[in-house]
Amino acid sequence: MFSRLLPRTAARGALQAQNQTPHIIRATPVTSCLQSRISQRRGFATPTEEKDLVIVGGGVAGYVAAIKAGQEGLKVACIEKRGSLGGTCLNVGCIPSKSLLNNSHLYHQILHDTKNRGIEVGDVKLNLEQMMKAKDTSVSGLTKGIEFLFKKNNVEYIKGTGAFADEHTIAVNLVDGGETSVRGKNIFIATGSESTPFPGLEIDEKKVITSTGAIALKEVPKKMVVIGGGIIGLEMGSVWSRLGSEVTVVEFLGQIGGPGMDAEISKNIQKTLGKQGMKFMLNTKVTQGDDSGETVKLDVEASKGGKAQTLDADVVLVAIGRRPYTAGLGLDNIGLETDNRGRLVIDSEYRTKIPHIRVIGDCTFGPMLAHKAEEEAVAAVEFLTKNYGHVNYNAIPSVMYTHPEVAWVGQNEAELKEAGVKYKVGTFPFSANSRAKTNLDTDGMVKFVADAETDRILGIHIVGPNAGEMIAEGTLALEYGASTEDVGRTSHAHPTLAEAFKEAAMATYGKAIHY
Amino acid sequence: MIRFLGKRSTPKKIDHSPQAHPASPSDELPESFASYRNRAQQHGPLGGQQQQSQSSTKSAAPSSSAGAAPTYGNIGGRSASQLGPVEPAKGQYWDRNELPKRFHRARWTEAEMEALESGGASMSA
Repeated sequence: MFSRLLPRTAARGALQAQNQTPHIIRATPVTSCLQSRISQRRGFATPTEEKDLVIVGGGVAGYVAAIKAGQEGLKVACIEKRGSLGGTCLNVGCIPSKSLLNNSHLYHQILHDTKNRGIEVGDVKLNLEQMMKAKDTSVSGLTKGIEFLFKKNNVEYIKGTGAFADEHTIAVNLVDGGETSVRGKNIFIATGSESTPFPGLEIDEKKVITSTGAIALKEVPKKMVVIGGGIIGLEMGSVWSRLGSEVTVVEFLGQIGGPGMDAEISKNIQKTLGKQGMKFMLNTKVTQGDDSGETVKLDVEASKGGKAQTLDADVVLVAIGRRPYTAGLGLDNIGLETDNRGRLVIDSEYRTKIPHIRVIGDCTFGPMLAHKAEEEAVAAVEFLTKNYGHVNYNAIPSVMYTHPEVAWVGQNEAELKEAGVKYKVGTFPFSANSRAKTNLDTDGMVKFVADAETDRILGIHIVGPNAGEMIAEGTLALEYGASTEDVGRTSHAHPTLAEAFKEAAMATYGKAIHY
Repeated sequence: MIRFLGKRSTPKKIDHSPQAHPASPSDELPESFASYRNRAQQHGPLGGQQQQSQSSTKSAAPSSSAGAAPTYGNIGGRSASQLGPVEPAKGQYWDRNELPKRFHRARWTEAEMEALESGGASMSA
């Protein structure tokens, strides 16, 4: 309409520029005057372009959703405040810890497991600074890779802290200073989680650390106490134990690995980690902590009450779990509530009570796992674009990357007993597997749990070398609704560790050949 | 043995009414979900949709969670084009101000008024 009011040559360019960022207008006195006039007034459409999808959080859930949405042709923006993409997983979680786990394992193996293999090694020294650099290289390579994928898939990456201004608008405090806002027809909240602090201990990431501090210690502590014998505690405890720390794990429950790990598998890995030098105090609670001195003192006693004792540590790793992170998101501005554990409440299609706002990843229901968040990200975008998405919460694997690794999917024996399901069990030890024998790496076993009548696989639990890779086959079998006989009758290459998987399946419906 | 069932396809009928998330510990949606939707459906074309979905729910067998929770349509579950014409029923009138803010009339700015009144001459002044 107003184009008629402008000189013919200037009008088209000036009006186009209104809908584009940055404004590109040749700076003549006339056009600069027009531009300022035009930018002051509102247009008939919204002043800033409305995105099809705005995602708050560039962690695994957020960035995967952004890429998927870009691939589906949506106009998408992703807001991330860390300054690098990938969230906890890539920056301070899964990825850096795996780098340290791998390299500390190599170091430990070179120190303790070479002579019997016929390898004479000279003086072996730890260069912790270099080990950390190697970790940082892996992290920066991967995070930059996501930025590249954003560009490739036309995702707008906004570096800043986002908060709801209203139900369709996110106000962003930019990392580089200044403010902006972005409107979205749909909004995904993917703000992730943070470590749960331990009451009475102040986290300084030096003496009292979370997983974030555990991947960045400047020197190997002489004594380390890990509060919480879950996956994070055991992985990081393993790293520093291998590098020379005297590590003690204090766990409230009667088993390590968390409640999802099968009790038999938990006992097995505890025995192996114990042989590697880690100490465990199960059924024990920390009653008090004092971090005022040079070392940290922890008062502990039996969970059900008992004799108290004091543990002394150079570093205490608090690994009692994680909690959803939604602080500063402006949930009050739009009236979104969380449940008693801080999780945003959603329905089966990830919608909050405000239907165009969906939540994925750690800040809502389900296990706090990166691969679960990825699945949700894809499904949530598909609900937007295809009206249908799919995540099977009964077939999400869990992996603990100690050595040997522990991995499981589906239900464990305790859960089946509680549910009153009749089941049968089949196991196969790696000590009877040819490849494990040749690798001189025979600790562990594969365990199948299947329905007693139908033989359908209900759960698979592995402790052993490469368990984290092997569980993929188990997850596929569970997803397909396979029976143990389906797996047992499938050819597995020889000699491989995967043969132990097949033989455990055979042991469930019949008998294993090699055991 | 597992047999190939054919290419994966999207189910033909999908119930988009809000239901508890499979990993939700309480296995039910809080009341706020229903109240938000009820409020959102008081005006505009979604009001018609609500009536439609209520009548269709009466004829269809309710699902387990739908049986416990009130029926409140499926905002966001259907595309705008499927919602039908944006017209009030006969004898029904809407006030524009009852609609969300983005549907309200935008005010003219002084600059626009001036541009109109001056035939655009003031913009080049």
